[in-house]
Amino acid sequence: MGQQEGYADDVVKGFIIWSIVWGLVAVLLGVLISLQLAWPQLNFPPYFTYGRLRPIHTNAGIFGWGIGSFMAFFFYITQRLTRTRLWSPKLARFQLCLFNVVIALAAITLAMGMNRSKEYAELEWPVALLVVVLWVIFSVNIIMTIVKRREEQMYISLWYIMAALVGVAVLYLVNNVGIPISLTKSYSAYAGANDANVQWWYGHNAVAMVLTAPPLALFYYFLPKSTGVPIYSHRMGVIAFWSLIFMYLWTGAHHLLWTPVPDWVQTLAMAFSIMLIAPSWGAVFNGYFSMNGQWHQMRDNYLVKFLIFGITFYGLQTLQGPSQAVRTFSGFIHYTDWVPGHVHMGTLGWVSLVLFASIYYIFPRLYGREIYSVGMVNLHFWLAVIGQLIFSISMWIAGVQQAAMLHATNPDGSLHYSFMETMIELYPYWHARAFGGVIYFASLLVFIYNLIKTATSGKPAPVAARP
Amino acid sequence: MLEKKPIIFLLLATATILIGTMITMVAPFKWINDPKLKIAEVKPYTPLQLEGRDIYIREGCNNCHTQTVRPLLADVERYGDYSKVGEFVYDQPFLWGSRRTGPDLARIGGKYPDAWHYKHMADPQSMVPRSNMPKYAFLQRPLDTALTSRKMKALHFPYTPADIEALKGKTELDAMVAYMQKLGSDIPWRKAAQAAVIGELKNPYQEDKTVLAEGKAIYDKECAQCHGKELQGEIGPSLADIDKPDAEVFRITYGGLPAGGMPAFGDALGKDKVWKVVNYIKYHQRR
Amino acid sequence: MDVASIYYLGVTFLLFALFAVIVGRTYNRRDREKKEAPKYRMMDED
Repeated sequence: MGQQEGYADDVVKGFIIWSIVWGLVAVLLGVLISLQLAWPQLNFPPYFTYGRLRPIHTNAGIFGWGIGSFMAFFFYITQRLTRTRLWSPKLARFQLCLFNVVIALAAITLAMGMNRSKEYAELEWPVALLVVVLWVIFSVNIIMTIVKRREEQMYISLWYIMAALVGVAVLYLVNNVGIPISLTKSYSAYAGANDANVQWWYGHNAVAMVLTAPPLALFYYFLPKSTGVPIYSHRMGVIAFWSLIFMYLWTGAHHLLWTPVPDWVQTLAMAFSIMLIAPSWGAVFNGYFSMNGQWHQMRDNYLVKFLIFGITFYGLQTLQGPSQAVRTFSGFIHYTDWVPGHVHMGTLGWVSLVLFASIYYIFPRLYGREIYSVGMVNLHFWLAVIGQLIFSISMWIAGVQQAAMLHATNPDGSLHYSFMETMIELYPYWHARAFGGVIYFASLLVFIYNLIKTATSGKPAPVAARP
Repeated sequence: MLEKKPIIFLLLATATILIGTMITMVAPFKWINDPKLKIAEVKPYTPLQLEGRDIYIREGCNNCHTQTVRPLLADVERYGDYSKVGEFVYDQPFLWGSRRTGPDLARIGGKYPDAWHYKHMADPQSMVPRSNMPKYAFLQRPLDTALTSRKMKALHFPYTPADIEALKGKTELDAMVAYMQKLGSDIPWRKAAQAAVIGELKNPYQEDKTVLAEGKAIYDKECAQCHGKELQGEIGPSLADIDKPDAEVFRITYGGLPAGGMPAFGDALGKDKVWKVVNYIKYHQRR
Repeated sequence: MDVASIYYLGVTFLLFALFAVIVGRTYNRRDREKKEAPKYRMMDED
């Protein structure tokens, strides 16, 4: 019924473009700080030291690239799954402006050292308040669209979208409670071990509500759309959904194993982390089973390649994560480079690959043009996968090596290596990691070039052009 | 039916995430605040220490340094007694961190003399040759104290106007060093942990020149930053003509001199390496 | 076994029962077509 015109898609374009800009910033900063670890003379105090830049890297990645593009796709998917025009396109346009203001403010204030120090919740209270406003208007817009929908039953993607909306709201509000001292300084309202426990309840569930639920919503939508075959089981999606959002909230303390947080909290976190394998792999199997009879599309259809590699990295991530959440293994590996290796498989492998596929899917539709170069899409794919693997694998080896050295003892019980002896062994791995980052950055340049060419000089295509 | 009622669905989803939240995040407030876990010796931060802590936060030191020692052999030997919940009651926010690119700092207080920290902050590589820590020489600028009393009040820490007055003329680096020296030093763990050396203290390498090179290597790495490459002394005293008996030099190196700012190297190096370095130092003097 | 462990077991069992009910309801044969309908509906060209 010619609804393409009826949907508010301009704002989707805006969010996609800006999220890519912030993603580029995040990766560029990532490369810079990885070089700073290898060559400390690349720190330029006071504004450009590792300590101040690393939070900008994580915030630009999670909030700029991650949340920015999720906003685009939530708008896109929700309208289509409800067969309803966005409740308020005007509000969404305002949201785009506010989004960019907030991310820019975040970058500036963090460089100036205005920092609450809590990971992924570093923003000082005035900026954090703007984030809350942003999230409220976003949620209202999506939920109102769902409420007045024309499609009665809600597809699983909408479930994940709604869970993410309330989940992020609860987490962000609780972890940001503070005592303001001035406009640029506040203290956490919680102290010591309590603060730690609140922080990692937040920190780990930011992974659930930002880096798991939204990409799963996208995956459940774009995989069937790309293959042309429905998802294997909607009901399995439903079971996995409730299990996932129930279990995730118990697991924050696996970041705090062996710390003074009560033992029973740590043990619960450990048990639930292992249980989480089930719902995580529910989604993985749903993806794999949907490919039944369609595996040839891995070769013919680049969207499927991105999506299936993405869900595979998710599957690996959700096996590695629970193993790290076990006390014995955590005691060995925690606080080493193993953990950044793990995190980047999730962000660069799982989340970003799904986002790339989603962008490649909707970009030609938004601009009414065919993708400019399929060859470049493939080049982007391989550079991204190889860059990420170099990053993660070098960090896993570095982590295991340093852990082994840190725990090595002499026959008389004394330590075999000093801290510095273990640290200087990491330099070669840090060089490899930076190299992996540069390759990933190159993949983004190919990606962006291809998109620009598509928008400006791609062949005009029928709206429903399937790659 | 759920898939047709978005508002009921939203409420149910919220309830679902709140169950784990209540049990593992809200409930522990009761356990962690248990008065039985209070430690009387742990004192709030002084105005100077608190300002130092805020600079630590501003510079994002927690991105590379943790502040919690786990009850694991390697952690305890490397960093000191494992962390207790009662030691963090004044920490808003907590600064446990998540990555040890640099060493843990939970018990850095009292490990080195102030002078070591001043030199190290300004130019880390001058003290620890292959360190990748950025230089923080720019902290040698006046400390901004405009908000200090408001901060102390907000956190309910005791202070007097004289304390605030005393901050005049202090630099940010002064505050940072004061904070470093406070970390983990409230409970008397160093004394408790001081290794009792059992057995006869006899230098097993006396007059053994074959281990001199090894002793020198250990000295260069662990001792030279404070006692000088040529044992001439810098932050620590000169060792060039130390006339203490071998056993005494061993005891000091192994167990440290908390009052004098001499760290204990026993846990980190072990008896054998300590003897080798003692042998090197003493050989220097006998020469 | 002390009271705490019995509580622990009880809660675990309750959760398991709840999970079984959800799975049972979701996989109820009668609703099969209705419960799987969204995955076909979302494939309609838009």
